Amino acid sequence: MVGGAFKVRVDTTKCVGAGRCVAQAPTVFDQSEEDGTVVLLTDSPDAALRQAVEKAARLCPAGAITLADA
Amino acid sequence: MDSQDDIPTDRLPLFPFTRTDPFHPPAEYARARRECPVSPVRLWNRQRAWLLTRLEQVRSVLQDRRFSGEFARPDFPAVTEARVAIDKAERAFVGMDNPRHQHFRRMFTREFSHKRMMALRPRIEAITAGLLDRMAAKGPPADLVEDLAVQLPALVMCELFGSPYEDRTYIMKCAAGRHGMRQSPAEAAQTARDLVDYCRTLIDAKERVPADDMLSRVIAEYVVPGTLSRDELADICAMILRAGHDTTTNMIGAGTLVLFQHPEQLAKLKADPSLVERAVEELLRYVTPVQFAPRRVALEDVELCGQRIRRGDGIFAVGPSANRDADAFPDPDRLDIERDASQHVSFGYGIHQCLGQGLARIELHVAFNALFARFPGLRLAVPLAEVPFKFDSQIFGVYRLPVAW
Repeated sequence: MVGGAFKVRVDTTKCVGAGRCVAQAPTVFDQSEEDGTVVLLTDSPDAALRQAVEKAARLCPAGAITLADA
Repeated sequence: MDSQDDIPTDRLPLFPFTRTDPFHPPAEYARARRECPVSPVRLWNRQRAWLLTRLEQVRSVLQDRRFSGEFARPDFPAVTEARVAIDKAERAFVGMDNPRHQHFRRMFTREFSHKRMMALRPRIEAITAGLLDRMAAKGPPADLVEDLAVQLPALVMCELFGSPYEDRTYIMKCAAGRHGMRQSPAEAAQTARDLVDYCRTLIDAKERVPADDMLSRVIAEYVVPGTLSRDELADICAMILRAGHDTTTNMIGAGTLVLFQHPEQLAKLKADPSLVERAVEELLRYVTPVQFAPRRVALEDVELCGQRIRRGDGIFAVGPSANRDADAFPDPDRLDIERDASQHVSFGYGIHQCLGQGLARIELHVAFNALFARFPGLRLAVPLAEVPFKFDSQIFGVYRLPVAW
């Protein structure tokens, strides 16, 4: 459902630290100070952020981000 | 589509194709996207390779572990014999598969994180302003390539590595001598070794006198405890210096020319500098400096789009073609700085996607906005026919861009 509540998951074992997710949705994603891999700031972002998070998942070169309806 | 996997190699078209239009990739790609998106070609050494010409194939193959990115493999495809010499000399993680690739890349990832790059922005703005001041004092006319496009990335690399600004001339020379289609294998290998030697000297200096820079931090964290050897670090530093240079240079040169050729688009950007982020993605898509990459080799027989790729066949995921795929970018040959072009593959895709892309983006955002703010009347100072294009290079762009204001 477009714009509905959703959950986001990241797979840090796949992450290559390209940083595209942080640029798209900085309130949802960050990068670890230790090795630059993705840090999820919230697994249930505001529904208004769905488009930005979908784009982050689409742009992630490693396929490390997935979305699911809540 | 008919299967083309049984055509004898001798009868396949020779790759790379000749580029004749400075603003559009070879017409062969457009035909391939329509008729045979996975197209067999023959390389200089008679090896068979396949071109991936559409965006979705490029994305999926670059995430598929049945295709290897190990430069050291004897069947790894290359467009020239000199490129083979460069591949063999490459010991950094750019030419490795996982898990080795990830082991090394992660030692550098945080140094290129989004936040670290944003923190560099004020320095990049100051460097750019200094270069534009010099250009203003010198001209008009001026050569935008020599005065800005070559200098900016070299100075930013010096900033990142904590190396003296005087070293930039040497860095520029080593980075530039790498992509010619006509250089000899011996010459190419020597240039690669020279830059690694330079990096060894730099590492020695940083070990003696550490400072607040990437190199000093990596030495303290990984070299001192023995996780990373000095030789490994020198190879990686040389790779980062090269990667951080030529592509950005060519995006500034060719990108500015493309804007000159589209005055109505340039007027929009000048009127609203906040468009620069979208404009840069569109210019990255439209120009796509890296011509014949990413490359892979098939580790097993794989069926792709009706073609049977055999184990040992080379793969070129052709960025300039994928970035003109109409399914992903409607009316793909039209420049539109307001479209969302961010899914382009100009930085590659998959595990090897450019580590420094965030830095490149900031350099380009700063460069284009500062350039047109400082010189609102900037224009090409010669007829288009006199602009020397890099038709003979694996990284497309312009050798010189005479400008006036």
